[in-house]
Amino acid sequence: METRVEDYRKLVKRSLWVFHLNSGSCNGCDIEILNVFAPRNDVERLGIKLVGSPRHADAIALTGPVTRECLPKVVDAIKAVPEPKIVLAIGACACGGGIWYDTYSVVGGVKELYRIMKEEYGMEAPPTVFIPGCPPKPEAIIYGVAVAKGMIEPKQRRMVYVEEGGGDELARMLEEVNGLRHFSAGFKVRRDVNGT
Amino acid sequence: MGRSTLEGRFRVIDVSPDEVAEVVRELFEDGCYYATGMGVDERPLNGRFAVYHAINCPKRGVYVILRLTAPENRPSVPSITPVLRGAEWAEREAHDMVGVTFENHPNLERLILPEDWPDGVYPLRKDFPYNRKMAGTEGTAGVRGERHDEATMSVPLGPYHPLLHEPEYFELYVREDRIVGADYRGFHVHRGMEKLAESRMTLNQIPFLAERICGICGCTHSAAYCQAVEEAAGVEVPERALYIRSLMLEVERIHSHLLWFGVACHLLGFDSGFMHFWRAREYVMDIAELITGNRKTYGINLVGGVRRDLSGEKIQKTLKLLELAEGESREVIDNVVGMKELIARMEGVGVLRRKDAREIGVVGPVARASGIDTDVRRDHPYAAYGDLDFKVPVYRGCDVLSRFLVRVDETFESFSLVRQILENLPDGEIINEEYSLPYMEFGLGSTEAPRGEDVHMVLTGGENQVYRWHPRAPTYNNLPAVPLMLEGEDVADAPIIIASIDPCFSCTDHVSIVDAGSGRVLWRGPLLEGVERLRR
Repeated sequence: METRVEDYRKLVKRSLWVFHLNSGSCNGCDIEILNVFAPRNDVERLGIKLVGSPRHADAIALTGPVTRECLPKVVDAIKAVPEPKIVLAIGACACGGGIWYDTYSVVGGVKELYRIMKEEYGMEAPPTVFIPGCPPKPEAIIYGVAVAKGMIEPKQRRMVYVEEGGGDELARMLEEVNGLRHFSAGFKVRRDVNGT
Repeated sequence: MGRSTLEGRFRVIDVSPDEVAEVVRELFEDGCYYATGMGVDERPLNGRFAVYHAINCPKRGVYVILRLTAPENRPSVPSITPVLRGAEWAEREAHDMVGVTFENHPNLERLILPEDWPDGVYPLRKDFPYNRKMAGTEGTAGVRGERHDEATMSVPLGPYHPLLHEPEYFELYVREDRIVGADYRGFHVHRGMEKLAESRMTLNQIPFLAERICGICGCTHSAAYCQAVEEAAGVEVPERALYIRSLMLEVERIHSHLLWFGVACHLLGFDSGFMHFWRAREYVMDIAELITGNRKTYGINLVGGVRRDLSGEKIQKTLKLLELAEGESREVIDNVVGMKELIARMEGVGVLRRKDAREIGVVGPVARASGIDTDVRRDHPYAAYGDLDFKVPVYRGCDVLSRFLVRVDETFESFSLVRQILENLPDGEIINEEYSLPYMEFGLGSTEAPRGEDVHMVLTGGENQVYRWHPRAPTYNNLPAVPLMLEGEDVADAPIIIASIDPCFSCTDHVSIVDAGSGRVLWRGPLLEGVERLRR
């Protein structure tokens, strides 16, 4: 795992080439992604570029909930991106399945996708930046890329410290959150026994 | 004929199975075309299944709704596809989702659900919980309808392709660089929206769901839904709300057309054009953000009115932005239209003759580019369009260039419409919340989306919910024309021809779709070729 993080750090220092992967999106996020490349925001000046093949990509811009029909194709496309890779989960649907998170024809957001990738295909989940919004503004997408590049600290912390006594309820709730299908930052609850 | 209710926009007629074909034939000969159809599980009410066929009669400004029913133990009604080809998908969709069988249907195959979906499970029946996940069965192997000789090669386009921004799959049959046939396989973006709406959402949450049918033309879907419920419940909408609705619909049309021009330039290899169009479009996005608070998915429509008012200051700012947007668009379009290379790529390419266009029942700019004078805004006035002055551009070139020019004219008509609305905005309330929802009342709402006619049908339910909601997007009617446009063209022109109908697959797939066109068995495999391309 450590080497993967190192690889990933090296990767994001360079120009990021992005493959746009629509897994069942409504187009809202997709046109905002294209907008990021249009003159007002123009991220190509930062070396970020959309590429036509997953084979050429460093990052995947994933939009939309993963539908049943798309699932195997999405997994194949993610598999085709060489390691190290990162995923930008763009929009509420990619982050957690959005409004359709539990319908009969939708698998869910990236969290469910990664669970299936792990269980059925034996693939590790790539590092992921969550960019919520419906659709996220171009500024939010650029902010997410900046987080991926380590220019800005992510807003959500992954570790939660809980003091002994008093905090059990919170700890239980946070652990419950990890089991849900919705987007969460993947909290780790650490009980701080000695107050250190 | 049985009971009939006369409403302003539509007329519901109960027909018996024996006479339906005759009624449909008469309507068709009168110049009507098939708009949409839905199957409804009405078993909890009367122990029967129902099928609603909506037929648009633009000459009379009315939609005729034919209602057929079948008993629970024998859910079967006669097919009207042999009489009216446009009904083919709607009937297959009803068969797939509700489990109604259509006698004498030429091709009653699975349409929407994934290949490995178990037989005999119908998601839109009332006894199917919206969140039930079905385990896959062994999918049947792909059956390719048309066998080609050895000189013909099949070229897969999709499901992920640099020129498609949505997961869709086209298969082109190519002989010496000429396209001799094409198949289409869609519904990758089927998200189970109709079931969700009737199970988990309340009446006024559905406009937000409807907006997410499509991220490009969402406002027009929510407006159509609201109109359908307003028709069903007899809600009076304040005039100011109608004007604000029209305003957002026109802002959306400008943004959508400018977006399409950009994409078309990109597909023709003119990336500077893409950049310039999208630069001009940013001002339109600013207008949307100024008025509604969001660049896309405006969330402005509710049943009975709109959610946000417009202050005088906002009107002034909007007018300034509008001037910038119009000036820049004009400059870019003038340049593009003057480029011989671009015009040569579009002229005479992807021809859809008027006769074919009529038979298929295409809508919107595709119809208007093939010489069919149709526009829901004029034929069935809604929102504030009855008070506004606008022209409907019609071209007779039938090619990609005509579709381009129709959209050019429409864009500038929309700029003028936005000005008219802002200048004549009436005072008053923006929403009427004093209404009660009747039980099992039918409503129909239609709008002219940037891509053509949107039709939403609603059956109201009790407890602040809808019993059934069926949206139909314009791409649903326009897609079957694509294989016809592709035949005989160069492979290199395929992307611009597909894009020339401005396809919106997420709109179309919310429920369904597919097909090849000329009665061919369509490609029903797990898209192995398409996936193989990714693996390579």
